[in-house]
Order: sequence, then C-alpha cells, then structure tokens
Amino acid sequence: MSNGNPAIGSVLVVGGGIAGMQSALDLANSGYYVYLLEKSASIGGVMSQLDKTFPTNDCAM
Amino acid sequence: MTEFEPKIVSFLCNWCSYGAADLAGVGRMEYPSNIRVIRIPCTGRMSPKFFLSALSEGADAVWVSG
Amino acid sequence: MEIVQNPRYIDESKCIACGACAEKCPKKVDDPYNMGLSKRKAAYVEYAQAVPLKYAIDPETCIYIKKKKCGACIKICPTGAVDFDQKPEIVTLNVGSVILSPGFAPFNPEKFDNYQYAKLPNVITSLEFERILSASGPTMGHVSRISDHQSPKKIAWFQCVGSRDMNKCDHSYCSSVCCMYAIKEAVVAKEHEGDSLDCAIFFMDMRTHGKDFERFYDSARNKHGIRFIRSRVHTITQVPETDDLEVRYIMENGEIKTEVFNMIVLSIGMETSPEVVSLAQHLGITLTKGNFCETSSFEPVSTSRAGIYVSGSFQGPKDIPQAVIDSSAAASACGEILSTARNTLTKIPVIVSETDIAGERPRIGVFVCRCGINIAGVVDVPSVAEYAKTLPFVEFTSDNLYSCSQDNQDSITQLIKEKNLNRIVVAACTPKTHEPLFQETLISAGLNKYLFEMANIRNHDSWVHKSTPELATQKAKDLVRSAVAKVALTQPLKEAELQVNQTALVIGGGISGMAAASSLARQGYQTHIVEKSAQLGGQALNLYQTAKGERIQEKLSGLIQSVVKNSSIQVHLNTTLSQVDGFVGNFKTTLSSTASSQVIEHGIAVIATGAVPLVPTEYDYGKDPRILTSLELDRKLIDKDASLKSLNAAVFIQCVGSREPDRPYCSRVCCTHSIDNALELKEGNPDMNVYILYRDIRTYGEREYLYKKAREKGVIFIRYAVDNKPQVVMNNGRLVVKVTDHILGRPMELETDLISLATAIVANRDEKLAGFFKVPLNADGFFVERHAKLGPSEFATDGVFLCGMAHYPKPIDESIVQGKAAASRAVTLLARENIHTSGTIAEVMPTVCSNCGVCVSVCPYSAPSFIEETARFNPGKAQINPVLCKGCGLCVASCRSGAIRLKGFDNDQIFAQIYALNEAV
Repeated sequence: MSNGNPAIGSVLVVGGGIAGMQSALDLANSGYYVYLLEKSASIGGVMSQLDKTFPTNDCAM
Repeated sequence: MTEFEPKIVSFLCNWCSYGAADLAGVGRMEYPSNIRVIRIPCTGRMSPKFFLSALSEGADAVWVSG
Repeated sequence: MEIVQNPRYIDESKCIACGACAEKCPKKVDDPYNMGLSKRKAAYVEYAQAVPLKYAIDPETCIYIKKKKCGACIKICPTGAVDFDQKPEIVTLNVGSVILSPGFAPFNPEKFDNYQYAKLPNVITSLEFERILSASGPTMGHVSRISDHQSPKKIAWFQCVGSRDMNKCDHSYCSSVCCMYAIKEAVVAKEHEGDSLDCAIFFMDMRTHGKDFERFYDSARNKHGIRFIRSRVHTITQVPETDDLEVRYIMENGEIKTEVFNMIVLSIGMETSPEVVSLAQHLGITLTKGNFCETSSFEPVSTSRAGIYVSGSFQGPKDIPQAVIDSSAAASACGEILSTARNTLTKIPVIVSETDIAGERPRIGVFVCRCGINIAGVVDVPSVAEYAKTLPFVEFTSDNLYSCSQDNQDSITQLIKEKNLNRIVVAACTPKTHEPLFQETLISAGLNKYLFEMANIRNHDSWVHKSTPELATQKAKDLVRSAVAKVALTQPLKEAELQVNQTALVIGGGISGMAAASSLARQGYQTHIVEKSAQLGGQALNLYQTAKGERIQEKLSGLIQSVVKNSSIQVHLNTTLSQVDGFVGNFKTTLSSTASSQVIEHGIAVIATGAVPLVPTEYDYGKDPRILTSLELDRKLIDKDASLKSLNAAVFIQCVGSREPDRPYCSRVCCTHSIDNALELKEGNPDMNVYILYRDIRTYGEREYLYKKAREKGVIFIRYAVDNKPQVVMNNGRLVVKVTDHILGRPMELETDLISLATAIVANRDEKLAGFFKVPLNADGFFVERHAKLGPSEFATDGVFLCGMAHYPKPIDESIVQGKAAASRAVTLLARENIHTSGTIAEVMPTVCSNCGVCVSVCPYSAPSFIEETARFNPGKAQINPVLCKGCGLCVASCRSGAIRLKGFDNDQIFAQIYALNEAV
C-alpha cells in the first residue's frame, strides 16, 4: 500500500454470499491467497434460499 | 407370474441431471432400482446410436435427461 | 485483522456427511433455511447442496452443549467426528486488503400492525414464499398455505414492505429487487398451480429496470394474466370463520375497494443488519443514511477507509448480477494495490512425472468404498469387490471403510506402484464431488488423471434403494462392470498448455472502457484502448452530474488525464477494428485509422463500445429550440446557461422511446437523471413550475432519496399511460404540454418554457464486432453476456469480456464498476500466464471429415473452424480449437460423417458401458 510497506498477497473477504464468493474466486484465480469468512456453517448466502431466478427462471442453486 | 419390471438405461448430463440424481440420494428419496446411469458430458453428446444400442442390448426404455 | 472462528463441534476433516448425527439428534428446531416453515435438528447441514457438505452442531439448541446431557451424535458418528471440546478460536490474519460483503438482512415485517404478519398465518414474507415454491422446501414446491395446507386460489403480493416508507420503518430507500422477485414468484406459482390461480400484485411503481426485466413484466401481465394493481394496501382483516384475508385498498381515483385473498405475500425489502452496522463502526467505515456503505460514483467499491473495499448489497440494495459485478470490481480494486505481491502467498503443488503406459494392456484396480455404513449398510460391499475381480483386466480389488480418507489415498498411491496398476475405478460416492480428489491421487502416483472412472454406488444406489439391499448390490455390480468396461478403453489424455499473451485490448474509450483499462494497467498489464472518435470519454462527456451530486466533467477529465499519462496504456483514437484473428490468449487484431493500420497481439479483449441516445421523433423534437433531450439540457447545465434560471416552467417527459413495442426495455437511468435535473432547475429558481410526466418512477436503491426530495421541493409528478401519451402543442409561440392527470382523470394543459425528453438509450448493434469475437447480440442490439446472473461481465467465448452500456443502459457508477469487473475477470485469465486445456475435448479425424460445416455452426463456443483452403494439409476440413472446446460433445453427435470423437467420452467407451449393462437388472 501507499505507506511504503511491501504489499501482502492475501485478502480477507467478509461474507460468503454470492458477492463474497465471486470476489474470493476472482482473487484466488488472480494469484492471491484468500480467507473467506462466513458466520454460518456453509457458504451461499440468501441466494441459496431462492427458488428460481428471473428472467430465465433458472434454478438459483 | 411376476409383474413386468422394465430395464431402464439412462444418460444423464453431468451438469444437471446427474447432479440431481446425486441430490435424490442426499435427500434419501427412494425409487426402484431398475435404472442404470451412464454419465455424459452434456445431452448434446447423445447420439441416436446410443439409444438403439441400449435397446438392442435389452433395455426396455432409454431415458435421456439434461 | 483478528477474527473469531466459532466451533462447529464436528471435525470437518472427519465428517463424511452421512447424516447419522442429524438422524439421531433428538432436538428439533425451526429450520432457518426454510424460514422456520419446517424443522431441522440441532445437528444439521444447512441444505443438501451445502458447501462444505459437513455437518455442524448448533450451540444454541444442542442439549449436550446446554445441559451436558444426550451426546447421541457422539455415539452414532461412524468416524468420531463429533467434538464437543472445540472452543472459539481467535485467529489473527495478516492481509493486504479486505473486502466487505456481509450482505443484507431481510426486513422483518412483524412491527407492521396493519399487515398482522405475526398474527395471521396466511400472511407470509416473500422469502417464506420462495421456500414454499422450492422443490427442496417444506412443501416440496407445492403451493399451499400455512393455516390449513390448502392450495390457495387467490394470492396477493404487497410491494414496498420495509422499503420506500419513512413512517413505519425508517427506510426511505427502494430495495431494488422486490418488484422483479414478486413478478417471478407470481409467474412460478402459476406454473406450479395452473392458470386458475389468481395472482395480484399491489404496487406503487413497478421497477423492472434490469436487462430483460421489462419483457418479463410484460409477459407476466399479458401472457400469464397476473393482475397489477397500483395501490398501497393499508389494512388486512381475517374473514370471520375462515382463514381468508380481506384486503381494503383505495384506487388512484379515490374509489375504495375490497377483495378477499387466500394468502398474502409481503414483498419485504433489504436492510443492513445491526451486526453489520456495528462491524462498520468498529472498522471506522462511513455509512449512508440508509445504513449502506458509503461510496463515490467514481470509486464505487472503495469504502471510506483505504484498503477496505465493499461488494454486494452492503454497498446498496441490489440484485444478483449487480452484486456479482461489484464483487469482481472489488477483487480488481484489491489487485490494483496488491499486484506486486501476486503469487507470493499462494501454494503450488509438487509435480510428479507421469508414467508412460503406451502399449500396456489394461491393469485395472477397483476400490470399493463402504462409506462407513452409508454404502455397506445396504450394499454387500465385499461381494461387489469379489465380483469386480472376475471382470476383464482387473488386477486388484479391495474394499475400504472410507475411500476418500487420506490414509487410503496413500494406500492407493502405494498399490498403483506395487501392482503396476494403470487404470483405476473407485466405486463410492459421486464423481461430482470426489473425482478431483482421486485424480490427484493418480497424479501423485504418476498416473495420467484421466485413467480413472467412478461408479456411483452411494448417491445413485445405497442411499436410494435402502429397502431392497439385494437389488442394490446387483446394481452396484452392474455399475462397477460398466465403469470397468469404460476405463479399460481409456487412454491417457494430454492437457495442452498455451501461453497467454499478457497484453490487453479494450474496445471503447468511454467511462467503462477507461475504468477497465486503468484497472488492467494498475494490475501490471500493457493495455491498448481503441476509440473510434477523436477523444476519450464517450457519453460521459455529455453528462452534468451523478445521482450523488458529483460533477461529472471534473472527474472525467481527471480520469482521461490519468489514462493518457499512464505509460502502460496506449490510446488509439479515431481507430476501429478491421480484423480479428486467433482466440483466447492469442488474439491478433488489426487496428485501422484513416492514416494507417497496425496489428496488435493481445491475450484478452474487453468490449466497452457503449450505447447512444435515441434521436426522438415524438413530441415535436427538432421543431422548437425549447424542446430538448436530457443530454441537451445537461449541456446547458454544464455550460452554466444563465437562461435556465429565468424559466417560468419546465416539463420533463419520461420514457421517450423506452418501454415501447419497438424498444421493450427500460433505459434504467432516465428517471434519476430527469429528477436530478428537475431539482437542479428548481434549486436555481425555486419559483419555477417543474413537472415530470412519467409512467413509473424508477429511482432504485438510495436514488429514491432524490425522488423524495424532488416531491418535497415541489416538483410535480404526473403519471401518464402509454396509450394516452402527453401531447406537445405550439400555439403562437406558446409551448403547451397536454396530459391527462392520473388522479383527477382530467386533461391538463401545462404551459412551459422548456421540455426535456428522457430519450431511450439505444444499442450500437455492432454486428461486425460481434462477428469478429464470435459473441452474440440480443434483440435490442446489446451484447449477450455469458450468464445473466453469474457471468454478467464476460462472454461465453473465452477471453472476451464485457462492460458498460454495451451490456445494458447504466449510470456512471455502474459503468465504472463493470469496467473494473471486466478487468478482474480478464486478470483471472492473464494471471495464469498459461492456459491448460481440458483433456476431455473433441478432435476431428480429417480423413473422415466431409467439410459439411455442421460442427462449425452448432458449437456454442466457436471451437470448430475450417482449415484454410490454401493449407498444405487437410484444406477445407474442420478443426477444433482445443482451447475453446468445452467438451460438450454436441459436434460429435451432430457430425454426419462420424469424423469427430470426444476424448474421454468416446463412442467405444459409451458403447462399452451400454454393452456392460446388457446383463443388468
């Protein structure tokens, strides 16, 4: 970062819903070590509770 | 005389129906055991020759799902 | 950062997800996954597809944790995974940056006494209804009401519960997603229950501003017959002696109506949970007045604290695609400050050299898994292993308690070496979860990972045939026989490696293209921007200010300067593409300008070609200088045109060219834009009469504050119907707009000095560019992304990415965020430096190929092409690009000559499986 210290190649992502998972995947695939923090017992967030998604009515799972 | 029990060969898409069959297991849903699954990468892979071959090998039904 | 790792009381490394603990657990609790509509145990897995698929014990309800009694799970667990000695651990992490994506909490409507959610069982929330619709939910997808489990005949949805409401819940923002999900729920409910189900949605403004949403709304109304009633319901009463609900509401013309429904769904909004608010306070992050994370339009994923970024609904209420776009953008923002440390903390596996098995006869090892009692409790595992010994080419079989355990991986590795096994079958659970694990084992034993097959004797057998163990055992044998027959014909497959050119090409120098290019450059990649006009900036050059009040021209010139000065970015103005060759990782693109042309080699491409404003043909546009488009009014505001202050009246007309049969989509930005400009005029001259003529006001998210402010400041909103549009009349120099007022139902005449037309945003419909990169356009001319929800900033064609208004109309902040997102998606490819193709891909046998071209036309990934007619070998024949092939097999099945084979799923292998099943059942 700008304070002159060398950058650390890891990122903490807080929240394992669709947003957190996407950030974590992008970072991991770009060469960073990712800690994905989730308060419940599994990742997926509210999207995993949805039945289908519009406009295509694809299964949300 | 015993009741007719069909032999079913099924071709399931790896990305959807094969996973769905896995989930049926996770949910412990019981169904008759007459079905044998062949995993294919996509139902786009299905060729008419597979249907015909399965039928000629003694299957009573072929189920393709994807 | 310090984090607390709470115990799950089950050792993840031992849990095999057999579910015995949950089965034995005596404690039933409300299942939060099903919104409390069903029960689960204190030992639980959230849902069947949960990741990780490992059980957990809820410390709040577990009898053992609460009272030190019970412990049934400890006794039943076959792997000894239950561990009540686990304690919360404080873990300190050293990280380069943080992304906050804590999500939203669904609004709890209990405090609304008029909806009586807590009291009436048949008043439920939309999230509860979502579970009711789900096949994995409490009613297995059958729509039934809570009180008596009867199928409802009439269902009503109430919109804006916990949104756009200051009186009861202090949430004056719009939650952005509820209109669409209510329509979806109504459509899906009708699909489940048939057309006789009556669905009515009570709403204030229907906000279907996303890509393809307006079409969905139109078809819900016209095709599915869903009723849309513009009214906010104030009371629900239970019809005496029944569980039905009477709804009393006022129509816009003042008429009071009552109607009885069997079930009412409250479309609840999003809010930030108190827990997240306190986390934000703890981290010193500024929140908006709606308790969302404050960001600027030009740094849309940066929080107020350096190094901490935000994504998803904590940044503002938003739908899935917008959250996915944000999240990639936040990843990019991290990459921009951490690129010097890339690959410093990631772990690289050790590579074992591969044994050459060419010419060897198959020596197959079959490992049959007991999975504790999961398989062995039903299937006679030893007899399956014995049976496997009798199959052709099988050299070794064994049965294992847990095939997936680490010690068993070591033992398989050992056996492969000792017995010279060259093909492996594992009869266990599903390859969907475990194939990669066993393939790793093959690799570590020096065996090509494709010399492997699984027989699914758990999920497809023991778990689903537990009352017929003999038949299940027979099926297991058949599945093993079929897997052995297939694997015997398997050959080692190669994964080709291709270098990825580390240069990026961004097509379009508008705000999203520049955002993408800046991000790529900051992450260390040489980037070219191609812009067809003479300057960078795109449509943003015409815009006055953002919804947050930032002056766009100042920020834009700063951004342009930083792009021009960046030595990693090369800007090509007055330039277009004239040819594109190659594919992901290795594109060769010819750039042409009036003076010259040059070829650029690049690994990825970002399409950011934007969109244009419609030139209106309605409302006498072009006939009078007082009739302007929104952008022309912006120009006057940018130029600080003093005449604007002296106007007596101004009329804004919305949806000019949008939401019409020719253009059945919403242009997304115009409501906010017009309201913003209306406020600007009103603030310049508070005495000015300002009218906004609209169809639905779509100020989604916290843009709603602007709408509220405009009403407070005296801007007059008049709704018109699409079949009764306003009319512009010029009479002796007087400019008059005639419109029918929606409340009085009477025609009105508004004399005005200015008309601002909110013109539609129209796609460039760039078919040439679409053809160059083999990417699709939709009916409206916008580019079609890989997936509407999960892949909004990339194409199905590898190596080609998408951002900005080329995707769909969007405001500045969303254009920037998608530019960064496209950069992030591109970096995931560039950072690999090499692409490994899959082994299971299609291959053409040129001598059999008849040049018909079916494969070229059917492939969704543009992998097949014709070899050039001038080529020395196989001219005119088809060839398949191994990098682009996804191995679906569509070309193989479509090929009329049988000239294409799919490696790993070859005809002989599938036939062998079919033949092996001939003895079955």
